[in-house]
Amino acid sequence: MSKHNKDRQKVLIVDDSKMNRDLLSEMLGDEYDIIEAENGAEAVAILRKEVVSISLVLLDIVMPVMDGYGVLAAMNSNHWIDDVPVIMISSDNSVSSMRRAYDMGVTEFISRPFDALIVRHRVVNTIMLYAKQKRLVSMVADQIYEKEKDSRLMIDVLSHIVEFRNGESGMHVLNVQMLTEVLLRQLVLITDKYNISEADISLIGKASALHDIGKISIPDHILNKPGRLTDEEFQIMKTHSLVGASMIDQLTYYKDEPLVKIAYKICRWHHERYDGRGYPDGLKGEDIPISAQIVALADVYDALTSERVYKRAFSHEKALEMILNGECGAFNPLLLECLQKSSDAILKNRKEKKADLYIVGREHIALDIAQYDDLSVSGKTADLLEYERMKNSFFSSLSDEMHFEYIASPAMLTLYPNNSGLLAEKTLINDPLNDDNIREFTSADDLAELLSRLRKTTPEEPVTEISCQAKLKGEYHNVRIVCRSVWNKESEYMGAVGKIVDCGVCTA
Amino acid sequence: MTLRECYAALGGDYEGVMTRLMTEKLVHKFVLKFLDDGSFQNLKNDMAAERYEDAFREAHTMKGVCLNLGFTRLFESSSEITEALRGGNTAKAAELMPLVEADYMQTVSAIKQLG
Repeated sequence: MSKHNKDRQKVLIVDDSKMNRDLLSEMLGDEYDIIEAENGAEAVAILRKEVVSISLVLLDIVMPVMDGYGVLAAMNSNHWIDDVPVIMISSDNSVSSMRRAYDMGVTEFISRPFDALIVRHRVVNTIMLYAKQKRLVSMVADQIYEKEKDSRLMIDVLSHIVEFRNGESGMHVLNVQMLTEVLLRQLVLITDKYNISEADISLIGKASALHDIGKISIPDHILNKPGRLTDEEFQIMKTHSLVGASMIDQLTYYKDEPLVKIAYKICRWHHERYDGRGYPDGLKGEDIPISAQIVALADVYDALTSERVYKRAFSHEKALEMILNGECGAFNPLLLECLQKSSDAILKNRKEKKADLYIVGREHIALDIAQYDDLSVSGKTADLLEYERMKNSFFSSLSDEMHFEYIASPAMLTLYPNNSGLLAEKTLINDPLNDDNIREFTSADDLAELLSRLRKTTPEEPVTEISCQAKLKGEYHNVRIVCRSVWNKESEYMGAVGKIVDCGVCTA
Repeated sequence: MTLRECYAALGGDYEGVMTRLMTEKLVHKFVLKFLDDGSFQNLKNDMAAERYEDAFREAHTMKGVCLNLGFTRLFESSSEITEALRGGNTAKAAELMPLVEADYMQTVSAIKQLG
């Protein structure tokens, strides 16, 4: 029958009559690859396995084992119907059965007797319509993502300037942002009194990055003083909240933008206390905007759990205890409840850190768009990606080998935990070539050799390996690093995936 | 016997099927395939064993195939038995069975004479 061709689209024909299947594939076979199923259950099994590669389903209604409605129900519950159009082969053209089919997501009907031209046209049109819509959704998602990424980037750069002067890493801003969002999500679960939407959460999270911009006006010798500040110095330090607020207030444009309004509140009032003993205005209780209350708590928590010139990092438990005991300020009891209830989410987020922000970003946008009915795509791709990640990390956790992914630009290394107990959780390392842990792990020469071999691979021969020594649990081991370089469609080098195999302790 | 004569003998719609499937070669090919289609035999077995739900599906399938091939006479009798079975009227279905069988035999014998 039809030759299998990589570039041709696949049509799944589901009909219990072989005659009918043959007839339909005869009509379509020149232009499509045909897969056949002789009842609904078979069709569902095929879809489960290769839904991604199927462009269209031609579906009969009356069939043994599982009928056409059963297939539609399965396609709905698995969200396949969002990406794979269905043309129903209707025999009895009763209005009620057609309505039911439309309700279940059917795009078109073909009635018996089949007319070759009509069948072909309906199939071509339906596939094209879906393909066009998918392309559009993907374009919109790309554009929103780019815009979103740029604006996050600008805010990050801006807030990094403040921290840079402060001798901090830039992690504080990201941590406060993450904590702010986590606490807000918990808050909306507990109460609806603040009337916070998902969009508000994202906005407050972004604005939180600006909470300390006023510090730009604080002289170096005070900002970076390792010891305790004098009263006079502390008075100067305290001006940063008002200075930050007036910097925002003096913006010529954008004053009415929600982001700017929220940033103003956060800058000005993130050092207020719930008991009224904070600064600069001594606001009390709910007079302090909720956004500023939340950022204040996130700020304190992150300061406690991070290392500073003048202090070591406290554990999550210790920090929680100190905050709840009122040692670090006075907070809204509702927010303290949020902090306690978010413990798991906070710990999890802190481990995964920054890199995931950008990786996960695009999927979120694609999923958000999918929620609009007239632009509906499911997160099929996102689901599959998530599934692949889960699979990788599971298999890796069972194996004695350590699996990794390396992205060349911007350089990032992901290490998956394995059975050896070396790594307890998935770890992301930014700029791995300059990372102390990686330098400790293996010599710069070996690393350079591995990278140069990777650079010499081609899309046709992507695999390379190197045997070298590496430090595992404090001892030098012989290891074999096997990598496969990864290339994009334009044959540009993207990075590599690979594994590190432990060949035993060095005897020398 | 030509294809046109065959359709006349089995009470079918030659013009209609030619319009829909477009070439004589294709119609010829699928008319011959009808001899391998098991739905009539299955229907007969199911009726005899009083498996009426299965019988309904087989009759329904045969009706669909006949419609596609333009076998009007057999389509009409298989439609009648399909509707009887859909409505659960098994006595009427049993009554219709000899007519369906006669139409089926006539259709098959016409196809077998096809050159």
